[in-house]
Amino acid sequence: MHLFLLFYRLMVRPLLREPARTLLTISAVALGVAVVLAIDLAGAAATGSFRGSMETLAGDNDLEVTASGGVPEELVGTLATLPYPMRVSPRIEDYAVIADTKKSLPLIGLDLVAGASSHAQNASKFGDELQAQWASKQTLEHLGDNDSVWVGSSLGYKTGDQVPLLINDQIHEYTVRGVYSDSNGNEAAIVMDLSAAQRALRRYGRVDRILLKLPENSRLEDWRQRLRAMLPAGVEIRPQGAGTDENRRMLAAFRWNLRLLSYISLVVGAFLIYNTISVSVVRRRPEIGIVRALGASRGVILFAFVGEAVCFGLAGAFIALPLGRFMATGAVRLMASTVESLYVSSRPGPIELSPASVLLALAIGVGVAVASAYSPAREASEVAPIEAMARGRREYDARVRKGRDLWLALILGLAAAAASRAPAVAGKPLFGYLAAILLVVASALAIPFFVALLTSFSSKLLGRLFGVEALLASRSLAASLRRTSVLVGALSTAIAMMTSVGIMVGSFRQTVLFWMSDRLPADLYLRPAGVPAADRHPTISLELAQKIEKLPGVAVVDRLRAYEISYEGMPATLASVDSQALRRYPRSNFFSGRRTDQVLAELRDSNAIIVSEPFSYKHQVRTGDSITLSLGATQATFRIADVYYDYSSEGGTIVMSRSTMLRYLPDPTPSNLAVYVAPAANVETVRAEIEQAAAGHRVLMFSNRDLRAEAIRVFDRTFAITYALEAVAVIVAVMGIAGALLALVIDRRRELGLLRFLGAATRQVRKLILIEAGLLGLLANFAGLLLGFALSLILIFVINKQSFGWTIRFHWPMEVLLAALTVVYAATVLAGLYPAQVAVRLNVLEVIHEE
Amino acid sequence: MRGVAGGRNLRKILTGLRTNMPMLSLQGISKDYLTDGQRVPALKGLSLNVERGEFVALVGRSGCGKSTLLNLAGAMDFPTSGTVLLDGVATSSLKDTGLTQLRREKIGFIFQSFQLLHTLTVFENVELPLLLAGKTNPREVARERLAWVELDGLGERYPHQLSGGQMQRVAIARALIHSPGILLADEPTGNLDTITGNVILELLRRLTCEQNTASIIATHSLEAASLADTVVKLRDGKIEEIIRR
Ligand SMILES: Nc1ncnc2c1ncn2[C@@H]1O[C@H](COP(=O)(O)OP(=O)(O)OP(=O)(O)O)[C@@H](O)[C@H]1O
Ligand SMILES: [Mg+2]
Repeated sequence: MHLFLLFYRLMVRPLLREPARTLLTISAVALGVAVVLAIDLAGAAATGSFRGSMETLAGDNDLEVTASGGVPEELVGTLATLPYPMRVSPRIEDYAVIADTKKSLPLIGLDLVAGASSHAQNASKFGDELQAQWASKQTLEHLGDNDSVWVGSSLGYKTGDQVPLLINDQIHEYTVRGVYSDSNGNEAAIVMDLSAAQRALRRYGRVDRILLKLPENSRLEDWRQRLRAMLPAGVEIRPQGAGTDENRRMLAAFRWNLRLLSYISLVVGAFLIYNTISVSVVRRRPEIGIVRALGASRGVILFAFVGEAVCFGLAGAFIALPLGRFMATGAVRLMASTVESLYVSSRPGPIELSPASVLLALAIGVGVAVASAYSPAREASEVAPIEAMARGRREYDARVRKGRDLWLALILGLAAAAASRAPAVAGKPLFGYLAAILLVVASALAIPFFVALLTSFSSKLLGRLFGVEALLASRSLAASLRRTSVLVGALSTAIAMMTSVGIMVGSFRQTVLFWMSDRLPADLYLRPAGVPAADRHPTISLELAQKIEKLPGVAVVDRLRAYEISYEGMPATLASVDSQALRRYPRSNFFSGRRTDQVLAELRDSNAIIVSEPFSYKHQVRTGDSITLSLGATQATFRIADVYYDYSSEGGTIVMSRSTMLRYLPDPTPSNLAVYVAPAANVETVRAEIEQAAAGHRVLMFSNRDLRAEAIRVFDRTFAITYALEAVAVIVAVMGIAGALLALVIDRRRELGLLRFLGAATRQVRKLILIEAGLLGLLANFAGLLLGFALSLILIFVINKQSFGWTIRFHWPMEVLLAALTVVYAATVLAGLYPAQVAVRLNVLEVIHEE
Repeated sequence: MRGVAGGRNLRKILTGLRTNMPMLSLQGISKDYLTDGQRVPALKGLSLNVERGEFVALVGRSGCGKSTLLNLAGAMDFPTSGTVLLDGVATSSLKDTGLTQLRREKIGFIFQSFQLLHTLTVFENVELPLLLAGKTNPREVARERLAWVELDGLGERYPHQLSGGQMQRVAIARALIHSPGILLADEPTGNLDTITGNVILELLRRLTCEQNTASIIATHSLEAASLADTVVKLRDGKIEEIIRR
């Protein structure tokens, strides 16, 4: 008890006496923890609980039968007539958009007729409500109707309502025949009878998945083997939800990278706690000496300062809880759009502040606080009682061993260089991360040396340039070398992270722009209206393609078709190109350096394919290798003719010629059309003609310029969250600077008061503090830029390459960097305003007589 | 030495011609402090004139108001009632810039605990007031002032490389750098041993004479009192006795 009383008197009370500074430190910690919490919560909501939208109304099954491009419908009959007590549920799975609200929903085709009649045996097949409806006489009449749909109750429709649905490129009116409850595990979706769905999607003779429910207590693997033998080679039979697992695995990597980014703010926060506790130890050295002389043990002193940090950590974590919860709502939106445009269609779940996340926040807050406070706290515990009588400050500062630290920094830098050459571990760039961490530590160690060097060289010069205030400012920074270094370290780390991610994203963007410049040779592109997502490939009616082909101004129409497939347990896109018309571009998009027409000529009518760089990297295949793909009911081997640069999806893409694809997957409807305008024709005229021809079809038309702009828009949206994370890190750092300058002012109040005695005007005192802030900012910007450059190399060439397989060209995004650094610099100087005001308002008489 | 002395006499005459005003004039000043709503009278209606070249010792028991008086005299604080005239100017009539100007030109401060800046060398400490006032080439002046306090050659050292007596001499050199009309010292020997303290007092006394400043030294030291032209005895915020020699 008495210990706590002492703790309150000696540690808490001083904190309460400087509320502004205490608050700043706590807010910095709170912000750092909140970001981590927000990303964790948002990650859990946007990806963690990822359940493919397509699992809606799938119920509990054991196995699923799938095939690239769809499962032949006959197999449903084959499986259903097997003499096994097994439930067979074929499904059509796609997306529909409610035309008037533009809401995009899963469209699910179920075998309602069979389901309703066999209702008794399949008690758990669908939601109870829906079953009851289907069993009822009235509904039975409509089961087979082509315009009947059942919808999730959250959509707000009533039985009998009309819903206009956009499916592929057409809108039709459907009648709601019933509503099912979509609250418990089921998402809102549009449900149709299987045959109605096939008709609406023009997916005749095929279903997307067949779910199998095995008898109780059967061994999954045995059944899988047994059924496998009866199915054609190209068809895959696997545990239900394997596709969801694949996606989940892919998303896990994405989430992991975001989580790492969110730790940046925490690292900056840790620097600041370290700084706060260090300051607290330095300025109270004589006091510690007195308390030691009065009988306090080392342990008590250690406890006191670690305790101070724990207070900061706890207070910060408690603020972080609501703050993080709040920030998560924004993060979820950003993340969901990234997931949608880069990975798979999914709907973010609710954000839940579970007891686990509360504990996480507390653990992180306190953990970071204690870890960063430990070293200064230990130093405090080593203060000898004799220091009560001595002037401690100078000796203490002399203890920064900048020479030794510089050597250590060099060694760590070399280690980082070595680590950056190591390969990925299990697909994760662990050594890349290690290299980045080593670099950050190395820079923190090297900073004291450079701060000392620069301030000692510059103080005379600064004095001459900016007057005596600058001389005083640079001297005081050099004098408290340790504190200055920690501050510069914190701010420069934040700046470095910002710069490196900025350079990485900027380089990536530039690479994509450059790459796109010869990727879109056609004049106009068409795709079905609806919500674009990486894993959706709605189709355009064949008639429309034919109609466009016949237009006078059109030279050639390329039909592109894409399917989402699974290769070696990872999702991938399978695409076909028509390649009738090819325009030449000077640059090659291929690893081999060959021209596009040469490569595509090789693909025509042969089992040759090209794969995208991420695919090649993920599956460790290269030009000349052969891979086996399951297509429709068959399996076939393809030779990789080349690898091409591609930045449009992370999962990887396989491209074959249209004729080759049609041999395996005979559905001729294209997903996209690329229109080449005849040399003599005017693009705008042709565009108008196509628009006329497309009446009744919901398609969107883009010029190649529109498409590029759209791609860049998607790109920017995708990376918006990384910018947001960096901004927070910088805010934390700037808050830290404000807090630290405040501490500096309070510590040096005697000196500042003295200056007033010696004839300094208030303006000069303010200038002094602002110059200190400016110098800190300058040093930090300089160090941050250097470190950031090094980190960006690791990000681009190691971490990014190893986790996504993209080759990115290095590029300095000058405008962005300049703007960002200016903002940071201005923020740093502005952060000095409040401390400067405090300095000006000091009671001169009191501070000078205090000691 | 002789040159300095000659100059002193000339200046004395000139100042005398220019103004009949004393350098410092306290006219019926009182000072109350407010602590927790309670009025604590520190000075109670006190008047005093100090001329240039006059060396005044301010003595009295602890708490009698010595520091308070010095603060008022240095325009660092203002009386509750009464007027403080510094070289003929009422301090309470000045705004912040005027006060800063006044400090830069007319006042030199010396403190019990020296108050040197650890981060600056001796030279830089001494030059500081001139630099703050925007003067450009203060090094020569600083060198001269250090010679006055007999610290030639220590200019490049840092304060922590000096003894207490040396530090106080640096502080004196700094206080005199701008040739102030008035020098205010609050227990300048309080942190020094008796012998060193006496040396400092001798130095102050000599410079007061040579530089023709008005000096007020708050002190507990009897030695100081014996050196002074004028001894002002304070008791409970009032002047108990003025002894002139
Ligand atoms: N800021 C203040 N607030 C309230 N009372 C004060 C303040 N400063 C001084 N006093 C009071 O005014 C009176 C005079 O104080 P002052 O510091 O002038 O004494 P002093 O003669 O300098 O004493 P010492 O020789 O101990 O330095 C004392 O009673 C003191 O308690
Ligand atoms: Mg006093």
